[in-house]
Amino acid sequence: MSSMLRVENLESGYGSMQVLWKPSLEVKKGSITSLLGPNGAGKTTLLQTILGSVEPSGGSIIYEERDVTHSPTHEKVDMGIVLAPEGKHLFVGMSVHENLIMGAFPKEAKKYIDASLSMVYSLFPILKERTKQIAGLLSGGEQQMLTIARALMSKPKLIMLDEPSQGLAPLLVQLVFETIEKMKVEIGLTILLVEQNVEASLKAADYVYIMHEGRIKAEGGPEEIGASRDIREAYLGI
Amino acid sequence: MVKYYPLIPVLAIYLVMFLIGFYIEGMWQMVALLAFYCALGQSWNIFMGMTGYVDFGYVTFIALGTYGMALGISYTHQYEWLGIGIIFIGLILALFLASLSALLESFIALRLRGAYFAIACIGINEGLKHFIEGARIWGGSDGIIFYGALIQAFGRETSNHLTAFWADFAVFIIAALAAILNIYYMRSKIGYALTAVREDEDAAKVMGINTTKYKTIAFLTSGLLGAAVGAFAWGVKLAHVYPGDVFVIHYTIECIVVVLLGGAGTLLGPVVGGLVYGLSKYWLAVVLPGFQLLVFAPIIIIIIVVFPEGIIGFVKQKTKSTPLARYII
Repeated sequence: MSSMLRVENLESGYGSMQVLWKPSLEVKKGSITSLLGPNGAGKTTLLQTILGSVEPSGGSIIYEERDVTHSPTHEKVDMGIVLAPEGKHLFVGMSVHENLIMGAFPKEAKKYIDASLSMVYSLFPILKERTKQIAGLLSGGEQQMLTIARALMSKPKLIMLDEPSQGLAPLLVQLVFETIEKMKVEIGLTILLVEQNVEASLKAADYVYIMHEGRIKAEGGPEEIGASRDIREAYLGI
Repeated sequence: MVKYYPLIPVLAIYLVMFLIGFYIEGMWQMVALLAFYCALGQSWNIFMGMTGYVDFGYVTFIALGTYGMALGISYTHQYEWLGIGIIFIGLILALFLASLSALLESFIALRLRGAYFAIACIGINEGLKHFIEGARIWGGSDGIIFYGALIQAFGRETSNHLTAFWADFAVFIIAALAAILNIYYMRSKIGYALTAVREDEDAAKVMGINTTKYKTIAFLTSGLLGAAVGAFAWGVKLAHVYPGDVFVIHYTIECIVVVLLGGAGTLLGPVVGGLVYGLSKYWLAVVLPGFQLLVFAPIIIIIIVVFPEGIIGFVKQKTKSTPLARYII
């Protein structure tokens, strides 16, 4: 499998506080790459730096063999990178349908808006039932699905999911992970998944990175990471 | 065309206002005042109503518009062959000064959010005022008085006609233009982008919206319209300008009140807000001279508590899924 995204020695942070201390990682085309680590490890910051909403101060980001380290966010979305942010960030005053339409803002995505809509509605049938409902009134699980669905509307090649199972009931967590697998298998998306749910992530992932204090501490196949007692105790707390 | 139906009530209101002022003796001054508030409300709404950013320094644009007109007329009035062209030179200067300031402000201030943005805008406004006074440019604190220049260029009769009628007429035109731009933006990609910014700017960015670009477009449009209002409603109409009179935050606050009363981000809102605000201000000044602010403040508070979405926001809810709904946004 060829590489979709390569991050090399990335550095970034907020003001004088450096958060990322040169982590490097690679996301292969058509794979689910999982990024695990405790709170405050810099996972969200890494995703935001990849997308450009946090400006990198060093290192490089290579997407489809192109250097996009300093490209602005909207250009990256046009190229096919999208983030389903943590904490949902939905347009709570708008309906489900309007939220989805907003997701298709990039020019290219707009052309395929009908196809994208039927795609996300078949992926998330519950959203189809709720299409006229105000997003703020959806349940937590439905809001999470809408966040992912809205991201899919931009016709991405690489989707970054920031804690999609956060705060969901176990049954819904399972549903979210099933959907993530479907996105990989049926739609052929490449997925970079940030999670705290270690067990489910290890099961879904093709490759795993462990992040701690802004650095990549370990990497490997999910069986390998899951089997390593040291890693489990030191970084995953299980 | 259906999506432009809401323009019908707005333009109808302007037309009725104009006819009342034109045909009923003694009404012109009041109608002109109302048109002024409507035009400012509509202009301000393009940026603030759609993005949710509160620009306390908005009066800077109106003031610079006034200065542009004053400079244009006082520097070119001796060239007789220019004729009425000097008004257009004034307008172009007004728009030029406003775009300079809008681009400068958007470069600095649009990177800030919330209270920081509001304060940065006030800072720019105050800074400009003190700069003009302190550096003694454009007449310093003595301002520019150009009624003489108008008379020299057009003669007394035409000048009177210009200040007493055509200045206000221009404000009507600007108000209508602002309404058209408002709905055009609302119905286009710009409107989508700005709504996304208002609802959740971080989400808008993540979704690939170039938020800075769309905010700048709206800010610039809003500023240029404000400058045009200033150029005519204050410039041509009064034929003088003093820095202490025009760089006054009070006018920004009036814009905010007009828009919030009527309904921020709606098309009809600033018009209804402008009418309600202008009429009550006019009426209170007659009935309770000197006390109008004292009476007005609680009225505004009550309206905002009862109709948090503004008058039009309230009407919109009531007319939802009736045939009227397509005319009201």
